[in-house]
Amino acid sequence: MSALLIVFLGAIALLFAGINRPEKALKWPAVGILLLAAATAFANWDWVSWLELPDTMMAYSSMDQMYVALICLVAALAIAVFEGLESLGSDRLGLMMLSLSGGIMIIGQENLVMLFLGIEVLSIPLYVLAGSDKRNLFGNEAAIKYFLMGAFSTAILLLGSAFLYGSTGTLVLSTMTNKASMYAHFGVYPPMLTAGLILLGIGLLFKISAVPFHFWAPDVYEGSPARSTAFMATVVKIAGFSALARVALAFEPMVLWFQSSVAIIAVLSILLGNLLALVQSSPKRMLAYSSIAHAGYMMLALTLVGQAAFSVESILFLYLASYSLASIAAFAWVEWASERSGKVDFSMFQGLGQNPWVSVNLVLVFLSLAGIPLTAGFAGKYYLFSAAFEIAPWAVGLALLGSFLSIAYYFRAFQQAWSQQENQESISIPVGFAVISALILLVGCAPMWFLP
Amino acid sequence: MVLILLSLATALLSYLLGARLNRMMAFALALLPGLGALILGVGTVDLPWFSEHIRLTLAPNHWGLVMLVLTNAMVPLIVLAGWRDGVHFSLQVALTFFMQAALNGVFMAQDGLAFYIFWELALIPIYFLALRFSEGDRFAVTLKFFLYTFLGSLAMLASLFYLYSQTAVGDDGHHSFAYAALQAVELSSTEGFWVGLGLFLAFAVKIPLMPFHAWQSDTYTQAPAGGTMLLSGIMLKMGLYGLFVWFVALAPESLRYEFIADWLNFRDLILIMGLAGILYGAFIAMRQNDAKRLIAFSSLSHVGLIAMALLTLKSDGTNGAVLQMLVHGINAIGLFMVVDIVERRLGHRDLTQMGGFAKSSPLFAALTLIVVLGTVAVPLTNGFPGEFLMLKAVYNSGTGACGILAALTIVFCAVYMLRFFQLSFMGPEKQVLSPLSWNEKWALMLIAGMVLYLGVQPQVVVDFIQSNTEQWLNAIAESGGMLS
Repeated sequence: MSALLIVFLGAIALLFAGINRPEKALKWPAVGILLLAAATAFANWDWVSWLELPDTMMAYSSMDQMYVALICLVAALAIAVFEGLESLGSDRLGLMMLSLSGGIMIIGQENLVMLFLGIEVLSIPLYVLAGSDKRNLFGNEAAIKYFLMGAFSTAILLLGSAFLYGSTGTLVLSTMTNKASMYAHFGVYPPMLTAGLILLGIGLLFKISAVPFHFWAPDVYEGSPARSTAFMATVVKIAGFSALARVALAFEPMVLWFQSSVAIIAVLSILLGNLLALVQSSPKRMLAYSSIAHAGYMMLALTLVGQAAFSVESILFLYLASYSLASIAAFAWVEWASERSGKVDFSMFQGLGQNPWVSVNLVLVFLSLAGIPLTAGFAGKYYLFSAAFEIAPWAVGLALLGSFLSIAYYFRAFQQAWSQQENQESISIPVGFAVISALILLVGCAPMWFLP
Repeated sequence: MVLILLSLATALLSYLLGARLNRMMAFALALLPGLGALILGVGTVDLPWFSEHIRLTLAPNHWGLVMLVLTNAMVPLIVLAGWRDGVHFSLQVALTFFMQAALNGVFMAQDGLAFYIFWELALIPIYFLALRFSEGDRFAVTLKFFLYTFLGSLAMLASLFYLYSQTAVGDDGHHSFAYAALQAVELSSTEGFWVGLGLFLAFAVKIPLMPFHAWQSDTYTQAPAGGTMLLSGIMLKMGLYGLFVWFVALAPESLRYEFIADWLNFRDLILIMGLAGILYGAFIAMRQNDAKRLIAFSSLSHVGLIAMALLTLKSDGTNGAVLQMLVHGINAIGLFMVVDIVERRLGHRDLTQMGGFAKSSPLFAALTLIVVLGTVAVPLTNGFPGEFLMLKAVYNSGTGACGILAALTIVFCAVYMLRFFQLSFMGPEKQVLSPLSWNEKWALMLIAGMVLYLGVQPQVVVDFIQSNTEQWLNAIAESGGMLS
């Protein structure tokens, strides 16, 4: 709860502080606030416990606190590795932090009302951020598309909540678990319960862009400014998966009812995401499809609900962490490389291979996305696949096939990086890139430390 | 662990030294891991890695030790004469050392996941070496290479996951990736087939066995000389080592799987693949004018025989195969080195335009001849004892026709290797070679020395691995009943 307040108050403070300062100057204070929030969550330091808020609305377990720490760190990285804007005002930073506070609400929700509220707080600033580059037509398209789809999916989610309320008589998730186990005991599910669950699921799947609710993602990711895209691809996914896991765990007694559909959606996302990423000519769009595929991998974790041997949330945590690290870095690289070369297709990476230091950093990011050993991506995939293998071996087999496909498009960046012959111009990359690369290696080599 | 850490340290050091790294320093650094291991031991470790029960277990068996000797003895030679001088020397050397670390890990791993990780890791440096320094259409060729091997690796990972899920649950309530635990899993014939197929694919692509060889000739030919040496000399041995230690020994049940009842089982199929490789590689090699491509195909032919010998599951055959893995590593590196030395001077590798090098550089010719004879398996060179043991086992394993066809490898090999030597070193002098530099001379002399030493003293290796081989074969006989 403290982290939520810090982020929210920080957002307000930043908005005012930006009145007469360029955004660039406020970048590091914003990062500082987020790091403070992350540290608070990590240390489980609750200085608002005297408020005695009811725990049927929001409650942060120690696992939730880890998620909060992760989401704050990821947002901090997303702000830190991108160049701040020269223009006055900090509306974008403020909006990002407001959106983040929505994410933190989602992580702590115990009640479908709070889930709805969190999703709205998370999404509305993002609609603005998607179109924040007003001169860019694609940005405007992205914003309107994202807004329509988002509003639509939230409506579906709301309808689902209403049905669930109708069938269980409550909006509190823990009470719903009792009802669900009662129904599971008799093996009959009222249609209103299943319909509610399906609609709620669809609403959430829209947010994490899983197939078949993915079609908005490529346009929105491509059109939005890279910083907003990186934020959307990571923070929204962390919050979305935390919500999905929370809901799935709440309906654990019904796991056999939804397990196979979850696995099918996962496999569809993996295969479709990877296949479509293969044919993209723009790296940003390629990353959008790859993020659909990654959503698919993470869906596999939801099949593990009800398995005593594995903790869905800790497996998801490591995957989300490794995915977010590499994803932010990938979007930052794309932004940096296209600024540098003025190109928007894969040729933006041309010549980056000349400098060993630059190429090592670039390579690590894409290897991690592809899941090559000793990078964070492999650690995430390993825990996920080895656990899911016992539930749905066929799905893991297809997921491995998906990883195989992904090599073909991630490595296109390397093709370009080494395609140009000798030119000894000196290239320097932002420090943030090296920090992320180091983190990717660290998580990859000692994953045990990062598994809550 | 000592070996891996030292290799990583030398990799980092040579990367940081950059342009200051000269050949002598690189050679000294390359020797460091091997010498360190001789003094400190290879450093067996057993640490928790991915969790308390999925551990990093490094404890080489005797086969692995032979391969470790090969790796750590040949990497210095590759550094000494494989990489050309130039602005990228330190990067090439650093990637070679990185590769050395991964290879050392592969041959030491006693844990399924650790094996997989090092196996994958070995692919990364060689991919970038090939991508960065190849000639021709490098991206298509290196991507083909990477995709082939990566698909195989993922199949292996799926099989390892399955074996893992079938291992007995230990005291801590978890499955285990430990080699002994994986080996203890009893599989039905069909289960075994699928598990075995996954493992087999990974190794068959890497070796490569006949239908999986499409990546090989292009990659070998276009990769820079040092890369080719790493690929053919050492990396290929990962596949052969894995074929026996991580496929046959883990899923012996699969060998009995019948595709056509009483007529064709999985083991027969692999023998046929090996045989097909022997003949196909040899026929193509005989017609090649590109020296590097010739040796690439000769390699395809030789490894086919080694794979067959491993699958005989007889102690002679497998001992011979391990010996031959060591020998093939030495000889292949020697031959690719010879080709590279010539190419450096002439700028091409076309055999029809070469000739008479023996006149201008007799020492070079003599050293090359020793390596060529070793490859042809002339008695008293290193090729003979291994090939002899292997052919004897293949012949005795109940498939006489197979044995005779496989024995043709020696005849064919003599044909194309002697043709290679004749066209380049004999006959009228078409082009004059400048004399060898010190590093080339020393590297070749060391290789020739090894060829002769192992020709006279093969028993050293065979005795060393004997007990290990027996252990494996007994275990396989117990669980698979294939030792009939």
